Amino acid sequence: MIVIEQSLRRRLLLWLAAVTLVFGVALLIEAYVSARRAADRTFDGLLDSASLTIGEAIQWQDGKPLVAMPSAALQILATPSQERVFYALFGANGETVTANAALPISDAMRRAAHAGPVYADITHDSVRLRIEGREIDSAGWETREPVQIWVAHTRGGREALIRALMERAALRFIVMALLAAALVWLAVRTSLAPLERIRQLLRARTPDDLRPLAVSVPLELKELVIALDQLLERQRASHDRLMRFIADASHQLKTPLAGLQSTSELALRSTDAADWHQALVEVNHGARRSARLAQQLLSLARLDHRHDEAFVVLDLVTLARARLIDWIGRAASQAHDLGFDGPNQPVMVRAIAWQLEEFLNNALDNALRYTPPDSAITVGVVTTAQQVTLFVEDDGAGVDEALLPRLAMPFERAGRQDTTGSGLGLAIAASVATHHNAELAITRAGVGGLRVALHFKRERLL
Amino acid sequence: MLARATARALAPLGHITDVLMRGHDARHALQEGGFDLVLLDLGLPDVEGLELLRELRSRGDNTPVLILTARDSVDDRVRGLDLGADDYLAKPFQIAELEARVRALLRRSQQRTSDALCLGTLHFNIRTVSATLDGAALELPRRELHLLESLLSQAGQLVTRETLEARLFGFDAVGPNALDVYVSRLRKRLEGHGLRIRTVRGLGYLLEEFTP
Repeated sequence: MIVIEQSLRRRLLLWLAAVTLVFGVALLIEAYVSARRAADRTFDGLLDSASLTIGEAIQWQDGKPLVAMPSAALQILATPSQERVFYALFGANGETVTANAALPISDAMRRAAHAGPVYADITHDSVRLRIEGREIDSAGWETREPVQIWVAHTRGGREALIRALMERAALRFIVMALLAAALVWLAVRTSLAPLERIRQLLRARTPDDLRPLAVSVPLELKELVIALDQLLERQRASHDRLMRFIADASHQLKTPLAGLQSTSELALRSTDAADWHQALVEVNHGARRSARLAQQLLSLARLDHRHDEAFVVLDLVTLARARLIDWIGRAASQAHDLGFDGPNQPVMVRAIAWQLEEFLNNALDNALRYTPPDSAITVGVVTTAQQVTLFVEDDGAGVDEALLPRLAMPFERAGRQDTTGSGLGLAIAASVATHHNAELAITRAGVGGLRVALHFKRERLL
Repeated sequence: MLARATARALAPLGHITDVLMRGHDARHALQEGGFDLVLLDLGLPDVEGLELLRELRSRGDNTPVLILTARDSVDDRVRGLDLGADDYLAKPFQIAELEARVRALLRRSQQRTSDALCLGTLHFNIRTVSATLDGAALELPRRELHLLESLLSQAGQLVTRETLEARLFGFDAVGPNALDVYVSRLRKRLEGHGLRIRTVRGLGYLLEEFTP
């Protein structure tokens, strides 16, 4: 069954999106921090200029600082963003010299301003402000008292600058992300192209075209193509085998049918009762032969095409005895000496019952067909440390040693054309053996005839 | 064609056959009853053959049923026998095979209703425990009579060594060849009367009609 998973392209893009998101957020945070720093640096310069300008405007009268607030200083701070501007001057004892608002300036900030210019973000009347404080030593003759100048303005200009910088950073980032996505898409497309080529090659094939694939693929796909070729090769072998089998089968089916047809036609032309009788004998022979052939062909087809059957643990002795008893009742076995040879206790194997029955049926049928009356036929079960064997043997004429290996091939009858056999019995036995991962051994029996045995490996047993 | 051939084959044995081609008709006829044997083809066109068998047995009707089918799978065989079929024959079969099975089934069903066991010219009266062969009384020692009765009650079928030994000797300790001795004695007596005791090595014996 084919399970369609998420598309590769989509998966890669999702990964890219996740990575982009994480990096993007980090990048934007970094961009904001540095934009803010840049904006503060720029605008803090303005605060510097303003406070210095104010510092220069301080005049001393009776040891007291006097300021005529220079409008230039305030204009510097106003900036194009219409900032609101605040200032406060404190004397040496911390007294307010002049101020346009009661700015929240802590003692800590004042102390810090002692050492050098101080910059801070404060909130005044719920408006965020940037404030700078610096201390100026009065350069007068009468006093040398320091004056602290604090100037502040709203953040409008700064925010505008940060916004502008951020917008540019974000734009750059989005363009980069889109570019990366396009690249991934393109990369997936190009790297999947060989797969597409293979797909088209396979699509374009006719059902019986099982030649290896002729296609150039990147190294990563080599294994896939090799596996595909091997599959095709196996298919071809099995297809060839099937075609050969069908050709043989149709030949084998046609022969008795043709015989039936011509024999009956000739008999119908004749008026002699003796001819009719002879024809009927031949017709009967032909009908039996085709009936048996059809049965065995079906049995073989069933063996070859049912792979989903469950193995069960069964007793070989019971199964073999039951089969033998069934055959004892049949007319075909009346003239033979049948016997069973096996242990008295159960011998359990994992197997498919009907297949083993089919094995015994065919082996017994063969033995009965190909041996003269009164021959001894024995069905048996033997267990050893390594294996369990189910066998059928006879004391008939046997088969030439050189022909033994060919007996399991379909339609092989070792030159015996004198019976109604079809040559499929041992092919069925071979198929049963394959299904059970057992070994089919066709040998000369100790008693002289043929021995057909299924050897089950011990590990197969339970 | 098969039905016609079957009917023709059974007629010389002295049987009258009713051939019903449809399951529906067969169901009616079976409800009427009065048959000695039913040959049931599972491939009926309108009714599942096994269903007819099930109906028959559920009515308590013990008429012997021989199933004929083209489906030679174990499952079908087991299912048929489970439902109470007496025997099973896979198509294609030889007429001789059919005749033999029919004879065996009829014999068995007749034995169920009488005191006599019969096979060919051999008659065995269960009540008096005596046998006649070709009309002449067959004088047999006790164990041979038991052996004959055991084989005859399952004529044509295998009787295992274990069964026969238990029947003849009970718990007596006997040698491994004791049974064979009795069998060969009985075999000699039946010789030449169209009967034989067939040995199935490793399994047991069966008594059957035999034309040399």
